[in-house]
Amino acid sequence: MESLASLSIKGFIEASFVDWPGKLCSVIFFPRCNFRCRYCHNGPLLTNPDLLQDIPFSHIMNYLQRERAWIDGVCLSGGEATLQPKLPDIFAYIKAQGFLTKLDTNGSNSELLRRLIDERLVDYVAMDVKAVLDERSYCAITQSASVLEEVKQSIRILIDSPVEHEFRLTVVPSYHGPDEILQVARDLNGASRLRIQNFNPASVLDSSLESLKPFDDDFIDRYQQQVNTILAH
Amino acid sequence: MGSLVELKERQAPVDVHETTDMALLVRTSSDNLAGWDRQKIVDAMVREADVPDDVAERISLDVEETIVRAGIKFVTAPLIRELVDAKLIECGLEDARKKHTRLGVPLYDVDQMILHPNKENANVPHGPEATNLTLAEGIKKEYALLKVFTADVGDAHMRGDIHLHDLGFIDRPYCSGQSLEYIKRFGLSLPNSLSIAKPARQPEVLLAHMVKFAAALQSHFAGAIGWDAVNLFFAPYLEGRSDREVKQLAQMLIYEFSQQAVARGGQAIFTDINLYWEVPKHFENVPAIGPGGEFTGKTYGEYEKEAQRFVWALFDVYKEGDGTGRPFFFPKPLVHITEKLFRTEGWQDFLHHICDVASEKGTTYFVFDRGETAKISECCRLSFKLNASDIEDAKSPWKMRFSALQNVTVNLPRIGYRSKGNDTALFNSLRAMMELAVKAHLQKKYFIESLLALGDSGPLALLTMATDGAPYLRMHRASYLIGMVGLNELVKIHTGEGLQESKRAIKFGLKVISEMSLLCKKYSEMHDMHFVLEQTPAESTAYRFAKLDLRDYRDHAQNFVRGDVATGHIYYTNSTCLPVGSSENPIERVRTEGLFHPLIEAGSITHIWLGESKPAKESLANFVIKVFRETQNDQIAFSPEFTNCLACGRTVRGLQPACPHCGSDKVDGITRITGYFTKISSWNKGKIGELRERNKNKGFFAK
Repeated sequence: MESLASLSIKGFIEASFVDWPGKLCSVIFFPRCNFRCRYCHNGPLLTNPDLLQDIPFSHIMNYLQRERAWIDGVCLSGGEATLQPKLPDIFAYIKAQGFLTKLDTNGSNSELLRRLIDERLVDYVAMDVKAVLDERSYCAITQSASVLEEVKQSIRILIDSPVEHEFRLTVVPSYHGPDEILQVARDLNGASRLRIQNFNPASVLDSSLESLKPFDDDFIDRYQQQVNTILAH
Repeated sequence: MGSLVELKERQAPVDVHETTDMALLVRTSSDNLAGWDRQKIVDAMVREADVPDDVAERISLDVEETIVRAGIKFVTAPLIRELVDAKLIECGLEDARKKHTRLGVPLYDVDQMILHPNKENANVPHGPEATNLTLAEGIKKEYALLKVFTADVGDAHMRGDIHLHDLGFIDRPYCSGQSLEYIKRFGLSLPNSLSIAKPARQPEVLLAHMVKFAAALQSHFAGAIGWDAVNLFFAPYLEGRSDREVKQLAQMLIYEFSQQAVARGGQAIFTDINLYWEVPKHFENVPAIGPGGEFTGKTYGEYEKEAQRFVWALFDVYKEGDGTGRPFFFPKPLVHITEKLFRTEGWQDFLHHICDVASEKGTTYFVFDRGETAKISECCRLSFKLNASDIEDAKSPWKMRFSALQNVTVNLPRIGYRSKGNDTALFNSLRAMMELAVKAHLQKKYFIESLLALGDSGPLALLTMATDGAPYLRMHRASYLIGMVGLNELVKIHTGEGLQESKRAIKFGLKVISEMSLLCKKYSEMHDMHFVLEQTPAESTAYRFAKLDLRDYRDHAQNFVRGDVATGHIYYTNSTCLPVGSSENPIERVRTEGLFHPLIEAGSITHIWLGESKPAKESLANFVIKVFRETQNDQIAFSPEFTNCLACGRTVRGLQPACPHCGSDKVDGITRITGYFTKISSWNKGKIGELRERNKNKGFFAK
């Protein structure tokens, strides 16, 4: 606990109903990210983290102790959580207190991911897949180069691991069409779940996207079903 | 009220006074023009208001002179009456003036009513039937305040110290809860009806009886009509029916109640259906009534599977929503979460099913019956705990009929303004208001009893029918509700902190509600009646109290009413709830609000506003179980928001300024107003103010 006192935590949701299917969890947000996805909603965590106040880890742990009967687990999110060098210690500490743990990641740190899984520190992993797995598509969305190999590695680690997990694809009109969605599903051969999420133009990192109209809910539902069919084979 | 022309018809022509030959026509209240007849003025005063003959004679001469002097050729009966009333006041005959009052509505008001919607109750659509309702309510409200209640009670209502609910329905009890067993056993045989139906043999016919009986009851009660264990009591009719037929029946039931806007004022019948996955313990060994009103030879315990099939199908229909995917507003499904539920096979799938509907449409109400209590819930949140004699009644379930006679709400913030931070003054003032509420109940009880005493030929014949040996409305079992608005504001005024701000504030809030609860017990013993606290739904009361306080306690009140004072979108926080905008997470909200629920015997609810988010059904189920295990909360509901496009007819999640499909801005928002869903366009200003401040739990649900 002592060593974790200096952690920089920039956001905390006490109880979330939507971050872990079937569970009530708390969510911790770490600052900074190595991606610059144009549709990111957590811009301030990326660009100006120092303007945000730190939330003491002890405050979070006190809350969790108090709400032990309600909170099943803790979701570590960001920003990009795997940029935190002490992440394994944080996971270990939270698990030792009797809570389940979940990691939200963009898959850019496969070594840390493997470590969390091997040391049984994580119970659930949600990994964002940003685009079709080729350099050009990935770079267009994330605005960061040479991350693809790490991402592919992380996907493989997750698919081969016994840990419960899901992949998520946020679909943005003009970046992702039907072909791209289905291609991502095929790229994830062997995965059990890929969740298609609709783009939301409110307060996005790249303000030129704000005028972009999201897909119809029907479109999302339809492609979710097609994706499920592909993954089932 | 006797009209002047009625007098004319009943009485022999009287002496022709010299002025009757003047060409003056009186437009009477009976659709005709009558010649001037001064004697009718005299007769009305004597008959209606016990005015001595000589005084009446003198006043009538005065009035006649006034009219003659004015030189008008045409007067209306109401004008003559007002002139007479003015003279009665001049003569110091205030009591006679009151008795002689005419109840009516100014032309301007009727014009407004016919043209503009009534926003006191969002369940009333705008139309000719609604206008009739508003007009009738207006007159009956005046009647109630003049005739049923004493001046002190009426004045307290007018001032806004207390609110007497449903004054326009003064000649009806408040709400009614019953089971299908009554019509299953006795068929549909209503006083004054043109035909009598024997007990149903088919489920579709039973449904038809249920709908008609509900309509008949709705025209005799002001508030909700609740039905106990609907899926269980239908079960004996469902044996041998295919799943498809059961689904069809579920669909018929929901559409019949949601579309049948034929009750008073074109409203849908305010219907609650209580549902169980398990067979409630108090019905397990009860002999089941089946087709033809015959006992089937089995107990209800043996119908678990059929009952489950039906409740599952009902939620299939709720999940689909109506023809355009909107949630069904009625009938409201109240699912009882009990210890036995968790011991009944399939409970997890069922809980996920109803949570799926809660997340998708918000329709589900979760009622928590902890320990061995059994409840029947109705109205927005009213429930009746079943006591020993009820459990005895459960053996013959057609006897289980419950009613609350009236609801009176106390304006808590006003007590705060008056007591100026002094505890003793506050509790004295609270007691005085509770005493007024009790007095109002005694007066309403006396009035309803006088109507019931007229029996078969009286206006409440339906409630006196004694098919099973006891009158349908069992007066000795009736409850009398005392509600509250704005505990949060009272606490803030008195202690400086609102309920969400400190433990001390919550403690003081609990002290206030405990005192109210104790007073209810005391008055119950004193009057041998059943006074209970309830969480007033306060659809319009929270707005009315805030408006009146802003008028009469402006300096003080402008700091405490919620909403936007400048635009008049103001309100007080409902009952004992935390403010809708407080950032409390849902766990904190159900737990803190739940602290008050055990003190509020007639039932309570915590609303969790979902906004546009759609959490996983498994997460909601997880939460529901924890609310049952970890809190004292009585009931919860999750409220999403929708936008219905009037142009293309599609329904989407969230409140949108324009339709995302066709771009039209002809859209109507839909969400829960208080205990039910409605279109936001029908809401009053106070509720709109509240909606703007509702915390949509964005941090907890949004993704």
